[in-house]
Amino acid sequence: MERGRPSCGTTTMIRNKWVLFASRLAVGGLFLWAGVLKITDPLGFAQSIKNYRLFPHELAFIIAIILPWVEALCGAFLIVGVFRRSSALLVSLMLVGFIGLVALALLRGIDTSCGCFGSLSRKADLKLILLDTVLLYLTLNIIAPKQQRD
Amino acid sequence: MKNLLRGIVIILLLSIILGAAVNFSLVRRFVRGEFKQGFLAQEEFPGIRFITLAEAEDLFARAGAVFIDSRSREEFAAGHVPGALNIPLEESRQRLSGGDLPYPQERTLVVYCEGGDCQTSISLAKLIHDRGFRDIRIFRGGWTEWSAAGLPVEPPR
Repeated sequence: MERGRPSCGTTTMIRNKWVLFASRLAVGGLFLWAGVLKITDPLGFAQSIKNYRLFPHELAFIIAIILPWVEALCGAFLIVGVFRRSSALLVSLMLVGFIGLVALALLRGIDTSCGCFGSLSRKADLKLILLDTVLLYLTLNIIAPKQQRD
Repeated sequence: MKNLLRGIVIILLLSIILGAAVNFSLVRRFVRGEFKQGFLAQEEFPGIRFITLAEAEDLFARAGAVFIDSRSREEFAAGHVPGALNIPLEESRQRLSGGDLPYPQERTLVVYCEGGDCQTSISLAKLIHDRGFRDIRIFRGGWTEWSAAGLPVEPPR
């Protein structure tokens, strides 16, 4: 890409560094909070994963033990600015996974809570997909290298 | 790119180490087969246990328990255990707060759903446990196992 010339792919990117900083705090804070809530109740989270009726019992348990820590660490790293892009990429992958999971649950007519915030979880529905999509957009901006945003 | 991947590997490794270390006792219990039926910690839900078809049949025959069906209204209307109370999971919070379980807390309750990989019976049992009931049995075989065994059903076939 030629420097200084805007490309079609970058026109919708957030350029303001303060907005990007706020995005990092918002996404990081949300993931840190979600992770900590699940870390305190791994069995509850394992049950939430099973409620989607997609994962075998053993895999649901392994995910419930590890995923909350990935969320919490990525959230914390996004806030403090360490491993910023790596954390953002992992958060994006998780968000894509969550969107797919909720969409599949809706298509299969499974009525369940999302399991995203422990006992404070909300219903897995279209509004949740919308929220995750907004978070994904914010996170993708954090991944983008600086020269693409400038 | 190298830094990006290195960061990802570090975060994933840290998560695995922390997750395994913090939940070491839980992992050991899982390996020993403690949570095979469902992810319920006995110390957290001491009043809930899983039962087989034979135990459910015995409780039904002795009229010693209230059966609670956590499936949807439509599924319940199509067929259920005679005398069962229908509390669909999506209505449960409202229904339980509204006093839809007018029984003493010592009463034995048998909660079931469709069977197979259905999970609503476990979620409903937890909510009922939170209401103070201390003898809740989850019949994991559910409606599928009950009806396949040729046991009484309502409406009669």
